Amino acid sequence: MHPERSDPDGSGRRREPTDLYATVLEVVKRHSGGARITRVSYGAGMPVDRLRVLIDRLLSAGLLTSEEFEGRPVYDITPRGQEFLDTYWKMRGFVEGFASASPRDPAAPSLNPGSRPSRLTRDGGR
Amino acid sequence: MGEPMTETVVPKGGRVRLGVVAGDLRAEKNSSITSDGAVRVQGNASFHGNVDVDGNLECRSFESEDGRVCVRGSLSVDGDVRTDDGELEVTGPFRARQVDVDRKLILGGPATVERIEVGGLLQGASTLTATDVAVGGKIRLAGKLEAREINAGGSVELSDVSLDALDVGGTARIQGGEIRQRIQVGGKFEATGALSFGRLEVGGIVQFRDHAKGGVLHVGGVLNATKDLAFEGLEIGGVGAILGNGQGGSVAVGGRFSVGGRLELTGAFEVGGTASIHDVLRAERVKVGGKLDAEQVIVASTFEVGGFVGTRGGVKAARIEIGRRSQVEGPLVGGHVTIDRDARVEDVFGERVDLDRGAEARRVVAHEVHVGRGAAVSEVVYTRTFEADSSARVRATPQQVATLPPFPL
Repeated sequence: MHPERSDPDGSGRRREPTDLYATVLEVVKRHSGGARITRVSYGAGMPVDRLRVLIDRLLSAGLLTSEEFEGRPVYDITPRGQEFLDTYWKMRGFVEGFASASPRDPAAPSLNPGSRPSRLTRDGGR
Repeated sequence: MGEPMTETVVPKGGRVRLGVVAGDLRAEKNSSITSDGAVRVQGNASFHGNVDVDGNLECRSFESEDGRVCVRGSLSVDGDVRTDDGELEVTGPFRARQVDVDRKLILGGPATVERIEVGGLLQGASTLTATDVAVGGKIRLAGKLEAREINAGGSVELSDVSLDALDVGGTARIQGGEIRQRIQVGGKFEATGALSFGRLEVGGIVQFRDHAKGGVLHVGGVLNATKDLAFEGLEIGGVGAILGNGQGGSVAVGGRFSVGGRLELTGAFEVGGTASIHDVLRAERVKVGGKLDAEQVIVASTFEVGGFVGTRGGVKAARIEIGRRSQVEGPLVGGHVTIDRDARVEDVFGERVDLDRGAEARRVVAHEVHVGRGAAVSEVVYTRTFEADSSARVRATPQQVATLPPFPL
């Protein structure tokens, strides 16, 4: 059973390839260089056969490294993998910022929360 | 060398009642064990496949593989717990040294361990005390959590916490408490109760639903604080809103920022887009790229705005620079005030006021006044000097006085 199938930020939207790579990297990162594929599959919420394809891509892109431990491969994140994660979350931050800045977005935080109407909204910013 | 340890074997599908087990215990799949009070294993307890234990279990070390072990009672392990490709459920209190579980660890009672590592899910209904907790997937804890560091790749849902550090790849939702050193979350962080923390770095969204007090906050996307927020530094890439009062060191926001009450800073206030402060803004320095709306602005050194400024009570600063083509509603009170080219302002009070080319002001009250080419002003009151370009327009005759009237701020 794989209970975690949603997006890594918990938004519930369908995971895209970059989300999947980020999910796998975040899970691998938690196991301090000793992440076995079965363990990553439980953390990332995806079956081993599908995960193996993603891990091969991450290895070939230099975002993960692997070594043998007790006869089984274990994975670790590389500095380039960490760079991918930093960039991924930064980009997600921009996207969230844009979504919240859009006046049509009902989820946007209230920017004029007090009872006094803002001069900006009152005057339309002149 | 002592006597070799004996081994008690519970066969596949077997149902046995045990008390004290002199050596090791091995239980095969689909077996179940009941006890008279407690099963006390003096050696190692190992489980293969699904095994149920009805009652308390004590052992020196615990191993299981390929299945789910359910202990309906307490589990007390002197050494380590290791579960390969399996899960462990303990309904009562749990104690162990190092715990390593591949799939799921479900805890019904209070737990005390040194280190927990879980591949998939850690779930607890009561308190957890640990040094380090690392989970690949999800952590869900209902009781108080005391630990040095919590690490999760996916998401965490925590109750009251007392931690040094929280590091989560996806989302973190906590009830409240204290995170002394750092919070690092990739996606979304939410605190529903009061929280104090050290440094906070969140890639996406931060939501504080109660009072929060912390060190430096770096938020990539959106920050929303429902009540008061106190901080040493606040950096937001996108949008920020504090519905209560804000108090702290400095603020730097890339996009929009609003405060429902007052904002008091000992450092700089820099907003790239729009800023709206419902009450008073106090800061050492203010720089707003777009629009600033506040009841009143009090600045120790420089106030710089590139777009629109609207206040009821006015802006007071040692140095005021109103950018080119900017517009100001409300009085400006400064030491040296510069109104850049084609900017429009209302009343200006200062030591020295310079209106650049094409700038417009309603009333200027200052010791020294300079009105540039094509600039326009309705009324000028000064004490020392008044200079105006020949193309400048001054509606009423400039009035030189011995003492300036009192400034509004």
